[in-house]
This record gives sequence, C-alpha cells and structure tokens, in this order.
Amino acid sequence: MRRAALALGLWLAMAGGLVLADDVSAKPQRIVSLNMCTDELVLRLASPKHIASVTWLSQDPRNANMAARALTIPANHGLVEEVLAHKPDLVIAGAYTTRATVALLKRVGVAVREFGVPGNLAEMRQQIRDMANLLGEQQNGEELIAGIDARLAALAARPRPAQPRAIVLRPNGFTTGRGSLVDEILTAAGLANLAAKLGIDNYGQIALETVALGKADILILNTTPDGPPSLAHEILHHPVLARLGDRLKLVALPSKLWTCAGPAVIDAIELLLDAAAPTSAGKRP
Amino acid sequence: MSSAALPSSLSDRLSYWRLVALLAAATLAMAVLSLAVGYARLDLFAALGDWLAGRQSLPALVLVELRLPRAILGALVGFSLGLAGAAMQGLLRNPLAEPGIVGISSAAAFGAVTMFYSGFAGAFALALPLGGIAGALLAVLLLFALNGRGAGTMTLILAGVAINSFAGAMTSLALNLAPNPYAALEIVFWLMGSLADRSLIHVWLVLPLMLVGWALLLSCAPALDGLTLGEDTARSLGFDLTWLRMRLIGGAALAVGSAVAVTGAIGFVGLVVPHLLRPLVGHKPGRLLLVSGFGGAILLLAADTALRLMPIRPELKLGVVTALIGAPFLFSLIQRLRREA
Repeated sequence: MRRAALALGLWLAMAGGLVLADDVSAKPQRIVSLNMCTDELVLRLASPKHIASVTWLSQDPRNANMAARALTIPANHGLVEEVLAHKPDLVIAGAYTTRATVALLKRVGVAVREFGVPGNLAEMRQQIRDMANLLGEQQNGEELIAGIDARLAALAARPRPAQPRAIVLRPNGFTTGRGSLVDEILTAAGLANLAAKLGIDNYGQIALETVALGKADILILNTTPDGPPSLAHEILHHPVLARLGDRLKLVALPSKLWTCAGPAVIDAIELLLDAAAPTSAGKRP
Repeated sequence: MSSAALPSSLSDRLSYWRLVALLAAATLAMAVLSLAVGYARLDLFAALGDWLAGRQSLPALVLVELRLPRAILGALVGFSLGLAGAAMQGLLRNPLAEPGIVGISSAAAFGAVTMFYSGFAGAFALALPLGGIAGALLAVLLLFALNGRGAGTMTLILAGVAINSFAGAMTSLALNLAPNPYAALEIVFWLMGSLADRSLIHVWLVLPLMLVGWALLLSCAPALDGLTLGEDTARSLGFDLTWLRMRLIGGAALAVGSAVAVTGAIGFVGLVVPHLLRPLVGHKPGRLLLVSGFGGAILLLAADTALRLMPIRPELKLGVVTALIGAPFLFSLIQRLRREA
C-alpha cells in the first residue's frame, strides 16, 4: 500500500515535470498554500503574482479576511493532484490539516513547510516573522508586525472597565479557555475569561445551562453573519440567550476576526473593548 | 370483536386502564427526573417558585428555556415513536414494522435536512416539520405499496433496507452539497438524533402536528383489533380497511415526520416498547397503541437522562443509547421469527 502510494506520487511528480527542489530559493515564485490561516499570511505578505494557489475556503468573504485578493488566485481543495498541477516551488500547510496530502508531497520531494496554531500574541508575531522569512518578504513582515504593535499600543492606552467577566460561545456549543489566542485577546481587551476560570483548557464544549448560570457580564457569540443554515449555529440563536440579554451584554463577534492569527485579531480586541466600554454598557449592573 | 358479553370484560377493561394510568404516571415521573438532571447545579424548587411567581431569575430561565423543552420533547417524540411502531405492527401484523427499521425515520430525516439546509426552514419555520412529514409520508406509502396487505417479513425488511439506505445516502448527499463547514458533522445528528439544546420553539412547532397524528393513530384501535381475525372478518364487522390504512399512514407520517424533524432519527423505540408491553395487554393490537405511546415516552426520557449522567462529553447521541438497548431486542426477535418460520 505504502509502496503503491509512493509509486503513484513519483509518477505524478514525473508527469507534472516537477523540479525536485531540496532548498527553497530566496523568493519562491510558485507558492501553494493548503490551509486557510497560512493562506491569509501568504496573501498579506507575498506578491499575488508569486502565489499559485490558495484554498477555496479563503475565497469566501464570510469566513476569510483576504477573500477579495484570494478570488483572483486559483483555488485548491488540499488535494495532491491539484497541488502538483501548479508545479509549486513552495507548499505551505497547516500542522493539523491535509495530513495525507502533506505526507505524499514530502515523499515526492516537494518543499513543504508546516505552520502551527499560535497560542498567544507573541507566537503570532513569531509566526508572521517566520512566514516573511520563508517567503523572502522580510520587510513586509516587519511592517505588518509594526502595524499590529502600533494598534495594540493605542488600544492599551484606552480606559477600560474593571475586568468584566466574559464567556465565548462558539458554534456547536464550544468555548475557548486557557492557553489559547482567544484567551489572550480577551485579556488584552480587559476581560476576564470565565471559561478559563471554569477550568476549560484551550477549546472545549460547554453546556448552555453553565453559560446561563455562569454569572457572566458579557456573552460573546461567535457568529458567521449571513452564513448558511447549520445546526452548529442554531445554538447561538437559542431563545435562552435572547432572554439572557436582559441581564448581560450580548456581543456578536464574527468568527473570521480570530479564526486565524493575524492582524484581524486586533479588530477583535477593538470590538470587545468597544462592547465592554462603561458608556455603552448601560444594562450591566 | 364484541367482547361485551364476556364476564371477564369489565375487570379486563379495568386492568387495562390501570396499566395506562400507571404508565402515564411513570411518564410524568420520568419527565420530572429529566428536569432535575442537568449539567449545572440548579435548585429545582427555587427555580419553579421563581417561575410560578413570574420572576425572571436565572434558575427559572434555565428551567423553562433549557430543561423543560428537553423533557417535553423527549416525552412527545418517545410517545410518537412508540405509538407509530405499535400501530404499524398492528396493521402489517409483523413485529418488525418499526419506523427506524423500515426506513420511515431516515426518509423523514432526509425531508427535514432538505428543508433545513436549503434555508427554507429559516424563512418559514413550519417548513422543517412539514419536510419531515413529507419524507415520512413518501416512505410509508412506498412501504405499503411494496407490501400490499399483510406483510411478509422478507418483503418488509427488504423494503426497509432499500428505503433506509437510499434515504441515508440522499441525506449524506444533501449535507455534502450544503455550503457549510459543519454539515459533515451534523449528519450524525440527523441519523442518530439528540435532544440537546432544543428550545420551546421546537415544541410549539411540532406539538399540533403530532397531536393530529396521535389522534389518527389512536382512532385505528378498534379496527386493528378487528383485523386480528383476518381481513374478511374485519370487513364483515363493519371496518373500512382502506380508510383504516389511510388514517394509519397519515398518522404515522405526521407523528414520526414531525418528531424526526426536530430531534433527528432515533431508532428502536417503536420496536422495543410494543415488544415489551404486548403481553401486558393480552396481545390486542388496539390496546397496545396508547400503552406503547407512554412506554416510548418513558424509554426516551430514561435514555436521555442516562446519557446526561454518563461522564462522556460531548454527550452521546440519543440514537446510540436506544440502539444499545434496542439491538439485542432485534436480535432476539429475529431468532424467534427464524424458529417460527
């Protein structure tokens, strides 16, 4: 089975007339990205003429921040044949997605680099820097990071209320706890993450009962505006949440602002700061 | 069959209604237990007091908006599945005629899925149960068309396998085409069923349709008793068998279709419950109807309470628990049918 897969891969590689690149040149010319979050960084840092393909997910403006630019670039669905057809000199993948494709690409000698999921803002900066080095766009990377830091500094100077308790409710009843980028975003917005206090690490399911009785001041609903109907999102429209709106503040935060670690997380922090601002929180006790 | 002349008739009828009352009380007790069990600690009496006094406290909100719909839907859906199972078994005179096994539930799920993911249900709420009912109706009609009168086990099961696999595949197809990243995960809900995070909106949406379905099915009781003597005798006793079939088909489609539309397809309830209760009503299919409804409600509420007490998160789907209980029953039934054959 393994040998068959290898043979198939080699055949595909030869059929595609692929250059078996061992080292990545200073500025890759045919970049293929296989993950929605690496897509975003590639689209922000590299010149569009160097990007051969991004995922189809990035072309949906409801899910992705760089959809307008992604629509000008051919899409892939993370399949080996699609990737090889673009004759890439660099493939960028997420550490947890399209595993089979990445394994096969590595076997046929395609240069593949994998990126993890940053757990905080420092790791996010490092990831942008790593990506910029890989793409040979160091200057763009430093500009992007400088822009993020300038906005963060401006937001840090804003007055903030005394640590209102907040809880995040995501589709399918998930919430985000300790050790996640979202937790740090909440902290940066001056909020205390109730899920972290309840002992939830990273990403876990939470019962609506717990949310209702949790005595939160702010409930952040992770919505996808105008998204297609799904049971996953139905929980965010449960009538009990509307009834809770009488005693706590409901904040709708589009998922795409913090799905991926990038400059959009600063928009998330700003949105939360605005929502928690004492002036607009008349209903809060 | 008129049994008024028999001396045992009165005590017989009395013991039947005693059984009905007992099962109704047990259903109520299970519903209260279901209200008391949850993920967060809740002072049930304080919550009830707040609610009755009209105070919008948090505990009252959790009780009314989260736990109440769950308990009510558990009872309604269980009643529908148990009742529909008993009625179909009476008409087809085959203990394997169950909404899940013969494919009515999966066809209803396909109907509901079509309405939900196409966005119809978002624009027009009633489209969801109506889609489920349409799917269920198609499956029941197909089933009766394939089986004619008095179903042989072979035809029944083959028709069930055909409807089940086709509706299941169509459900998968509809979810694959749905432009939503969660759709692939949600197929588990539609094929296995769950009562998690349903709301009172769902209760109001399906209750009227279900009540009509129940009334149609329960009205079949005398004719089903008559049918045990054979079709010709039943007809000579004055039962219109075409009218009986129409009521039963419509009732089963309404009850099962609307149930599946809000909780997904939950299997085995209509199989296990009539099977257990049949000896208690003297094997009379007419009397089996009401008791099977209550029995189904008890079984579903018990299964839903059990899965919330289990330390497994995310919680198991309801259909997993009913399958764990129901599959052994199915095997024993098959064994018995083999011996009889």
